[in-house]
Amino acid sequence: MKGLLRKIYLEIRWPVLYFSLGLAVIMWLLTALLPKVLGDVHRVFDKIPFVKPLITALLGMDPGDEFSAEMMQAFLWVHPTVLSLVWAHTLMYCTRVPAAEIDRGSVDFLLGLPVSRWKLYISEAIGFVLSAAVILSVGFSGHLWAASSLQPEMRPGWFALFGILSNLMAVSLAVGGLTFLISANSDRRGRAIGIMFAILLASFLLNFLAQFWDPAKAVSFLSIMEYYRPALVIKSGSFPWPDVAVLFAITMVTWTIGGVTFRMRSICTV
Amino acid sequence: MLAIETRELTKGYGSRRGVDQVSLSVGAGEIFGFLGPNGAGKSTTIRLLLGFLKASSGNAQIFGRDCWNDTATIKHDVGYVAGDVRLYPWLTARRAFQIVGEIRGQDVQPHGLELAERFQLEPDLPVRKMSRGNRQKVALVLALAHRPRLIILDEPTSGLDPLMQDTLADCLRELAGAGHTVFFSSHTLNEVEALCDRVAVVKGGRIVADETLAAMKSRAPRAVSITFADESIAATLQAPEFATLLRRSGKDVQLQLSGSAADLTRWAAALPITDLSIGQPSLETLFREFYDTSPAVLEQKP
Repeated sequence: MKGLLRKIYLEIRWPVLYFSLGLAVIMWLLTALLPKVLGDVHRVFDKIPFVKPLITALLGMDPGDEFSAEMMQAFLWVHPTVLSLVWAHTLMYCTRVPAAEIDRGSVDFLLGLPVSRWKLYISEAIGFVLSAAVILSVGFSGHLWAASSLQPEMRPGWFALFGILSNLMAVSLAVGGLTFLISANSDRRGRAIGIMFAILLASFLLNFLAQFWDPAKAVSFLSIMEYYRPALVIKSGSFPWPDVAVLFAITMVTWTIGGVTFRMRSICTV
Repeated sequence: MLAIETRELTKGYGSRRGVDQVSLSVGAGEIFGFLGPNGAGKSTTIRLLLGFLKASSGNAQIFGRDCWNDTATIKHDVGYVAGDVRLYPWLTARRAFQIVGEIRGQDVQPHGLELAERFQLEPDLPVRKMSRGNRQKVALVLALAHRPRLIILDEPTSGLDPLMQDTLADCLRELAGAGHTVFFSSHTLNEVEALCDRVAVVKGGRIVADETLAAMKSRAPRAVSITFADESIAATLQAPEFATLLRRSGKDVQLQLSGSAADLTRWAAALPITDLSIGQPSLETLFREFYDTSPAVLEQKP
């Protein structure tokens, strides 16, 4: 497995560095600027009505009267640029094997080596977990850097931050597990990314519609965003065990089915 | 123990046929040529052997192990070069020796560098800067660096210049001499003829011939040129049953001999000929017959 991990490291080190630095810069900017931008949030809601459901969908709760300065920090963790960066890394990484390898034709070389498909799949998963952890940690350090200059009442507690970060990691893993599953069934990386992007978009739309449309609310449990609610974590001050457990279950089930599919399928590059 | 054994190996791609009831056996130390036109099923057979594809029916074994279930174990003893080599753009030969060595659990760098020198390959040049031929060399060197007991090569000379083709042929002969087995596919007759002990011909996904090169040569047609004393005899000549008349030109007649030379000389002794020459067995003609797409030929069994 050492050789496989070395190969993964050589392939992903630069993209992971770029994603990490990008996330750190964005987190720094958002942490520093969001209090000013959202300071007058109620006036913004009155002037631009669709902003509220959008923020509600992102936060997973109504930001109405309870939208304190501390709660504003929750928006940082659901900001579209933050989620886009995290998911872009997830989609790019988790379609590497087998979709991108088959697409490029290099799977012939890889599978010509004495390595089982399960070992290959597991080493990719290890690489993904580590790279996601690095990206989120570096991104978090950007937040910490900017947060040090904020008023103490604007900073969420360490436990709440740990809960949010764990929740974000869990949602990344769940999206990653599903992406591994789609990749395992695909011979084209672009197709796998496209399908997964459509799923994420549908997931967000479902969460959005669920704010004001009851039929959508009834099936909102199907949206992966339903299990990522930083505002609730800050509000309750407790670790989001139920959400993390659901996301972990999604990760394990989708990743395992993906592994079985990859093990059993025929691989053809011609 | 046989290096490769397949029994009625079949693989279909939906409505398309990949390979159909392919039965092969390749002994240790053999250089085995797997010949066939494009799309005949050569690569599919190799992919089944390497466990990339799951057979629809039948089975394949390498060194007595199942090619699908034990594929990772088998590959400790196998070196493989794909027909269309695609490698990672960032990979250099030296880096590849390190990664492959760690995966194989053996230091392949010393022998790998020797081979790189033999194939005139720069070990620190990344694949993205390499020509197709150099990429082919990287794949060959990586396939041979761990001294595998079985080398499976899918059209390995495509992209190599004639000198490198000779180097590869020398390498393969040395390996076979040391007891290693070589299984290589090709659609080029010359390299098969120059290297192989035994040849199987695949067409339309089925094996249409599987025999030693010597046996194949013995039944390969030969070109015969006869010059008669009189043009009128050449003009009215009827070819015997063991030969086919190809053309006449003045006093000269050209035949394709499918029988023995003894039959020919007996037949020719009764005729007023001034000259007779018999060419070498033409494997090319024989292979062209194999490659013929007529249904009658497709029905041939080994």
